[in-house]
Amino acid sequence: MVPLSRLFSSTLGRKYLMGASGLALVLFLVVHLLGNLTLYAGSGDPMNTYAARLHALGPALIALEVGLALTILLHIVTAFQVTYSAKAARPVDYENAKTKGGPSKNSVSSRNMIWTGVVLGVFLIVHVAQFRFGPSMEDGYTASVDGVMVHDIYRVVVEAFAQLKWVAFYVGSMLFLGFHLRHGYWSAFQSLGIINPRWSKPIHALGLVIALLLAFGFLFIPIYIYATQSGGGNS
Amino acid sequence: MSASQSKTINVRLRVWRQESREAQGFFEEHELKNVLTDMSFLEMLDVLNEQIIKSGKRPLEFESDCREGICGTCSLMVQGQAHGPVRGATTCQLYMRAFTDGETITIEPWRAKAFPVIRDLVTDRRAFDRIQMAGGYTGAKTGPHADANAILIPKDLADRAMDAAACIGCGACVAACPNASASLFTSAKITQLALLPQGQADRKRRVIRMVDQMDKEGFGSCSNLQECEAACPKKISIQNIAIMKQEYLKAALAADFRAGMGSADGGA
Amino acid sequence: MSIELNPGIPEGPLSQKWDTYKANMKLVNPANKRKYSVIVVGTGLAGASAAASLAELGYQVKSFCTHDSARRAHSIAAQGGINAAKSYPNDGDSVWRLFYDTIKGGDYRAREANVYRLAQNSTSIIDQCVSQGVPFAREYSGELANRSFGGAQVSRTFYARGQTGQQLLLGAYSQLMKEVDKGKVTLFPYREMLDVVMVDGKARGIITRNVTNGEIERHAADAVVLATGGYGRVYFLSTNAMNSNVTAIWRAHRRGALFGNPCYVQIHPTCIPVSGSYQAKLTLMSESLRNDGRVWVPKKKEDCKKDPSTIADEDRDYYLERKYPSFGNLAPRDIASRAAKEVCDEGRGVGESGLAVYLDFRDAIKRDGEAAIRERYGNLFDMYHEITNENPYQAPMRIYPAVHYTMGGLWVDYSLQTTLPGLFAAGEANFSDHGANRLGASALMQGLSDGYFILPYTVTNYLGTHAQDLLKKVDVSHAAFDSAEKEVRSEIDRMLENGKKGKRTVTEIYRDLGKVVWDKIGMARSEQGLKEALAEIEKLQKDFDTDLLLTGDSKLNKNLEMAGRLRDLLELAALMARDALERKESCGGHFRVESQTPDGEAQRDDENYAHVAAWEYKGKGQVPVRHQEKLVYENVKLSVRSYK
Repeated sequence: MVPLSRLFSSTLGRKYLMGASGLALVLFLVVHLLGNLTLYAGSGDPMNTYAARLHALGPALIALEVGLALTILLHIVTAFQVTYSAKAARPVDYENAKTKGGPSKNSVSSRNMIWTGVVLGVFLIVHVAQFRFGPSMEDGYTASVDGVMVHDIYRVVVEAFAQLKWVAFYVGSMLFLGFHLRHGYWSAFQSLGIINPRWSKPIHALGLVIALLLAFGFLFIPIYIYATQSGGGNS
Repeated sequence: MSASQSKTINVRLRVWRQESREAQGFFEEHELKNVLTDMSFLEMLDVLNEQIIKSGKRPLEFESDCREGICGTCSLMVQGQAHGPVRGATTCQLYMRAFTDGETITIEPWRAKAFPVIRDLVTDRRAFDRIQMAGGYTGAKTGPHADANAILIPKDLADRAMDAAACIGCGACVAACPNASASLFTSAKITQLALLPQGQADRKRRVIRMVDQMDKEGFGSCSNLQECEAACPKKISIQNIAIMKQEYLKAALAADFRAGMGSADGGA
Repeated sequence: MSIELNPGIPEGPLSQKWDTYKANMKLVNPANKRKYSVIVVGTGLAGASAAASLAELGYQVKSFCTHDSARRAHSIAAQGGINAAKSYPNDGDSVWRLFYDTIKGGDYRAREANVYRLAQNSTSIIDQCVSQGVPFAREYSGELANRSFGGAQVSRTFYARGQTGQQLLLGAYSQLMKEVDKGKVTLFPYREMLDVVMVDGKARGIITRNVTNGEIERHAADAVVLATGGYGRVYFLSTNAMNSNVTAIWRAHRRGALFGNPCYVQIHPTCIPVSGSYQAKLTLMSESLRNDGRVWVPKKKEDCKKDPSTIADEDRDYYLERKYPSFGNLAPRDIASRAAKEVCDEGRGVGESGLAVYLDFRDAIKRDGEAAIRERYGNLFDMYHEITNENPYQAPMRIYPAVHYTMGGLWVDYSLQTTLPGLFAAGEANFSDHGANRLGASALMQGLSDGYFILPYTVTNYLGTHAQDLLKKVDVSHAAFDSAEKEVRSEIDRMLENGKKGKRTVTEIYRDLGKVVWDKIGMARSEQGLKEALAEIEKLQKDFDTDLLLTGDSKLNKNLEMAGRLRDLLELAALMARDALERKESCGGHFRVESQTPDGEAQRDDENYAHVAAWEYKGKGQVPVRHQEKLVYENVKLSVRSYK
C-alpha cells in the first residue's frame, strides 16, 4: 500500500481529489437547485418550509455543512496546486501558443478553470455571507409555517433580488459557473479514470447539459424574483 | 509535371536563438526567398543554415534524424503549435505548402522545465528516458521463453496495445500541454503493458514508479484539455491517461502491494 | 601482402556448429563477471539488445549513442517485418529453408555457418520479443500473424503494423532501460565515438565527443562492441537517417580492423524520387505495393512528359512484366532497381527529372475497387500524398530506387570479433550474413540475433579466454588514451581552424560526394566509371582538406559533427570504388557492366570471387590492401539466380 499522504500529493492524486470533490459539488448544486425551485412558487411558504426542515436536521445539517465546506476547500487547494505545478512546469512560456484543434478540449472554458473558479470562490463568500449568515430571526425575519415561527429566508432572498446590482452579480456569477462546469464535469470523470471511449463523448455532452441546466436554473431565480416580486418586495 | 504544382514563396522566419541552457534567448529574424512549396519544413531550415554559414555565422541548431516521422527526434513549436499546423504529422513531415507567401513563421523550442534548452531549438528530453527506466518494461531477460504462441492474445487487445505502443517519444504532448504534463507519454507505456499478459507481473510497481518519476521530473499535472492528443503525431488517445489513473489508484490502494516504494527515486 | 583470413568456424555438421561453439566456449564465473566492463556503441537493435543481455549476465556495461535517447536509433524506421523460421502457418518453412533462402538471396556470397546460426536463432527472437510485450500483429484466434515477403515462398514474416522496427527497438530499449535502472548499464547519450583505444593489442576503450558541449572523453573497458549501423549515407541521399554515419566503424578500420565487402550496397526499388536540389533524405515506399501496383514507363520518349492517364496501354512498357514474366512486378529488389535505371538511362524516365518510373494502381483499383486498395495501402498512399502533393488514387505514383542498406561493414569472424582482438561488430555494422544482397525482413533478424543470442556467448568466451590479461585493469590515464585523444582533438581543431578560411560548406561537398558515389558506385558499375570515381573523390577530398567552410564553435554544432563524418565518408567512398573495381563480377547488389549475361543479367564468377574481400587501412591517401576469406560451400550448391 502506498501511504495516502503520498498518493494524494502526486499529480494524479491531486486530480483524484479535485475530480471527486468536483463531482460532489455538482451533486450538491443539483440538490441546491432543486431546493431553490421552491422560490418559483411566488410565495414564501415553500421555501421557508424547506429551509425549516433542513434546519430541523440539527447536528446532521452542521455536519453536512462542514463536509461541504471541506469539500470546497479541498477543491480550492488542489486547484491552486495544479495551477502552480503547471506554472512551475513551464517557466518560460511560448510567445503565442495555439490549439491544434481536432479532439482538443482546449477552450475558453477549459483554459480558464482557475479564473472561473476564483470568481466562484468570491461569489461563494458573498453568497454565504448574504444568505447563510445574513439577516436572521433575531433581526425580525420571521415567518409562520403551519403555525410555527421560522426564519423568513424567503424575505431575505426577495429583498436582495429586488436590487438590480445583486441580480446582475448573481446572474454573472452563474455564467462563470456554467463555464466552469462545461469542462469540469467531464474532466472529473477523466481525472478519476472512470471513462472509456464509449462514454467519453456522451459524458462530455452531458457536461454541457449539466452546465446549462445548473447555470440557467440558478440564474433565472434572481431574474424571476426581480421581475415578479420587486414591485411588492420593497418594505 | 501534372498534378505537382510546386511554386515558390518568400517567408520571414523568427527563430529562437539561445547560446546555452543558462543564456538568455531571443528571436532572430531571417528572410528566405524562393522557397519551394514542395520542400519539407526541415529542408527549408537546412537551406536557411547554408545561408547562415555562408554569412560566417553560427548555424541554427535543431534536431532531426529519420525525417519520416518515426524516430521522434525532431521537435519545434511552429506558429505556436507542436510540430506545426498539420495534425498527425511530425515537423519533418510538414511541407512548405502549409504556409503562404509572405508569411512570418515563428519557431520556438519545446518549452518545459523538464526539457531544458541545450542550444537554440535543441532541448534535452532525457526526462522521458528516466520515466521509462522507472518501469517501462516487462522485466523479461534474454534467454529461453515460452513459445510465442503459448499465450494467446485477443486481436483487439493486441491492437489496443499497439495503438499505445505507437508513441515515438517526441515530447509534443508535453510541449503542447498548457500544463507541460507528460501524462500522455507516461500513460501510453503503462497502458501498453497493462493490457498485455506479459506486463502483469510488474503491473503495480510499474505504474507507481513511473508516475512518481514523472512527478519528480517536474512535469505539470493533467488538466484534461486533450491538447496532447491533438498535437500527438501518432494521435495517441487520452484514454490511456484515464487508464493510467485507474492503474495508479488501484496499485496505490492495493493491500498486497509493497515493492518499489523504496526505490521510487527512479533507481541509480 | 595479402593474407587468407580465418573465420574460426567450429568443426562438425552445419546444424551443430553453434552448439559446438557454446559447448567449448570459456565461461566467466558469476563473481568475476562484475569485474569486467564492456562498452557497447550504438543502441539500435543490435546494440541495445547486446548491452541489455550482457548486463543481465552481470558485466558492467557502458552504452553509447549519438542521440538524446537510445530509442532513436535508425532501426526504428524499419517498416516491413522480421523473418523467423517458426513455421506457424505450417507451410513448409524450416531453419534450413530460411538458411537456404538467405544464402541464395545473398547471391552465394555469405558464410554458410553464420547464416545457419542466424536461421536457428530466428525463432528465439520472436519468443524473446513477445515476452517483452512487443505488440505483434495477431489473428482473431489470438495467434501471431504472418505475412510473406520478397524472395521467399513461405509466410515467415512477423510484423507490428508498418512499424515493426519501432516495436522491436522499443522492446530492446525497454530491456536496456531495465538494466540502467538496476545500475548494470550506464548510459552515455549524446556521445559520438571517435576512436578505439588499443592497449597491448587489445581493444580497451574508446574516445568520445559529447556533442552537447564538445568535451572529449575517455572510456576504458575490457571489450568493445560496435553496433553503429551501416554507411548508406555515403550516397548523401538515402533512406538512412540524417545521423547515420560510418565514423565509428571507420575509426576502428583506421586502427586496423579490416573492412569487408564495402561495395555491397542494397538499393531499394520503390522510393519517392528526388524532387529538388535541397533534398536531404529519401523516403521508402514499402515493397508490398508491388503486389498490386504495375510498374511502367512510356514506350516513346516523347510521351514522358505527358499526363500518364492520356497514354494508351499499347504505348506503355510494363518492363518488369515483359522481362521477368514469372516474377513480374515482384522481381527481387536488385533486379527491379536495375531495370528502372535501365529504362531511365534510355531516356524513358518520367517526372521533372526524368529519373522516375510509374507505379500504377489504375488496374488494381478497377479490379478491386478504391476501398480495397485503401484498406491495403491507405497509410502508404497518404504518406505519398503528403510528400508529393499528388493523389495516387488518381495518378500513378512515381518511384525510383534509392540506397537503404549496406551489406558491407567491418569484417568479423564467427564470434563477431573484428580483426582487432576485443573489438566486436554487430548488426549492419559488420559485413554481415547477407552476402551481396539482403532479403526483406532479414536485417531486424540479424541485428537481434547478434545482440541477444550471439554476443553474450562470444564476448564471454573472449573475456574468459583472456582473463589473465583483462583482469589487469587499464586506466584511462594510459598512454594509449593520451595519444588517441590527442589525435581526435587535433582533427577537430584542424577542421575548425581550416573551416574559417574555406568557401565550400559541408553540405556542398557532401552532396557532390553523394552524386559521384551514386552515379559511379551505384546500381551499375564499370571499370571506367570506378576509376573516374576515384579521381573525383580525391578531388573532393582535397576540397575538404583545403576549402571547407565551417562556422560555429566546438560545442553543440551539428555542422561540425557532419564535417567529421564527411571526412570518413570520403575515405570510405574511395575504398568502395576500389572494392568494386577489384570485384570483376556481378553479384547481388554489385553489378559490373562488364560482367553480364547476353540478356543483361548479373554474371557471377564463382571461380575467382567466391570470397569475402577484407580491406586493410594503410594510412590517409595510401592504397589499402585487399585480403580474402574464401567462402566454402559444403551444404548448398552454387547456382544461377533466375527470375525469368
